[in-house]
Amino acid sequence: MAEHTFAGLTCSDVAELAPAFVLGALNAGEADAVRRHLADCPELHAEMAELNSVVPALFEAVEPVAPPAYLKAQILAAAAADLETRRAAAATGTPAARPVAPAPGPRRGWDLGAIFRRPVWAAVAAAAVIAAVALGAWNVQLRDQVAGLEAYRAGVVAILDQAARPGAQLAVLTDPAGAGGQSGLAAVAADGSVAIVMRDLAPTTGTQVYEAWLIGADQVPVAIGGFTVGGSGTASFTTTHASMGAGVVVALTLEPREGATAPTPPILAAGQAREQSS
Amino acid sequence: MSDPEIASRGAAGSDADRTDRAWMDRLAGGDLGALDRLYEQYGAMAFSIAYRITGDRSAAEDVVQDAFLGAWRNAGRYADVRGSVRTWLLSIVHHRAIDAIRRRRPTVELPDSEGGLPDSLTLPDAWGEVELRLDRAAVQVALTQISEVQREAIELAYFGGLTQTEIAERTGVPLGTVKGRLRLGLQGLRAALRLDAVGGGSDG
Repeated sequence: MAEHTFAGLTCSDVAELAPAFVLGALNAGEADAVRRHLADCPELHAEMAELNSVVPALFEAVEPVAPPAYLKAQILAAAAADLETRRAAAATGTPAARPVAPAPGPRRGWDLGAIFRRPVWAAVAAAAVIAAVALGAWNVQLRDQVAGLEAYRAGVVAILDQAARPGAQLAVLTDPAGAGGQSGLAAVAADGSVAIVMRDLAPTTGTQVYEAWLIGADQVPVAIGGFTVGGSGTASFTTTHASMGAGVVVALTLEPREGATAPTPPILAAGQAREQSS
Repeated sequence: MSDPEIASRGAAGSDADRTDRAWMDRLAGGDLGALDRLYEQYGAMAFSIAYRITGDRSAAEDVVQDAFLGAWRNAGRYADVRGSVRTWLLSIVHHRAIDAIRRRRPTVELPDSEGGLPDSLTLPDAWGEVELRLDRAAVQVALTQISEVQREAIELAYFGGLTQTEIAERTGVPLGTVKGRLRLGLQGLRAALRLDAVGGGSDG
């Protein structure tokens, strides 16, 4: 092969660096020089492709370790949230209501998966352990948060399960104003049953109830049921209503008492239901 | 046809690859069911690789989640690469896991930059793998065909995240020796995994 020099490397240099390059064992400067050489060099550098073809085999040398059962639900929940963010952005032609960091990092916008992430989870759990040796209201509050997260996680798994059934739709519920932290998921089954799981809701007091609404093509909100929320801020709720078809909007308001027939503004969380599987 | 048996696809990989590609199209269309299937197929292997590299279950969970969400968001761009979904996804898992351990390790060498696709996925004609047996049994046998020091050098590089200079320091041998071990080790594995290899060793 003819000898060219690009990015300060001759073809022979690149051939010599090839094994380490395909294994990712060069430092940043060397790897970058190899990349730039390959981009410009007319030679095929067949040794590079040959050595690289072996690399995927190394995955088979890894001892199998079972992932935790909840990991799949976490990933699906995060993906569902991500999908909703993208759709909202596409629908309005503007970024989603929640400010979105411009970096294409793995956790943009509203990321349901983030709440499950181990660091958060571990921090809450660790705080709960510390609180257990302290005394007083903190103890109760933190135990509520832990229980709430567990309940929420279980609720999300149940919702995703329901949303995966034929004809079922999934809605990701977020605060339309982008202000509050409350959020959740709703599954709308083909038979009209609706399951909702929410987190970070303010506790209800007195006669207050959170009311869920379905808003169909006629834009008229229909109350489908209410629930109260304790200190944990999480709630999981199932109800039934005659099916209102595809694309129904699920919304949540806080009402002064049960039996509201029209929603009291503001809408705390809302999302449009969509079928997830073809 | 039933679900593709990716792990032992070998030469028959093209069928599995086509099925994979159909999934990637569904993934790009925002189909959560396709993501579910992708995880069913590769989640356990992805976690095993992430755990092998990070040695930490929670770090491995983060790596796997980030990799699958990356696949979810970038499935549309998958059409640009020519390899199998398996290699694409697992290479991304590997790349992110290596980034994770390099971030937490003081290193005398500047680690390679984060982000972007792994180099293994961007090389021209990176897909000679279709000529190789990539099933677990074949790989286990192939690993016995190379020397212990070659295997160690490859593992320190690929699963330990060390540069070849760091491997030389760690193992107390000259850099040139490490380079030779990496090259001979990879060449030896390739020879042992070639579909047309004579006596490639079907059993122990």
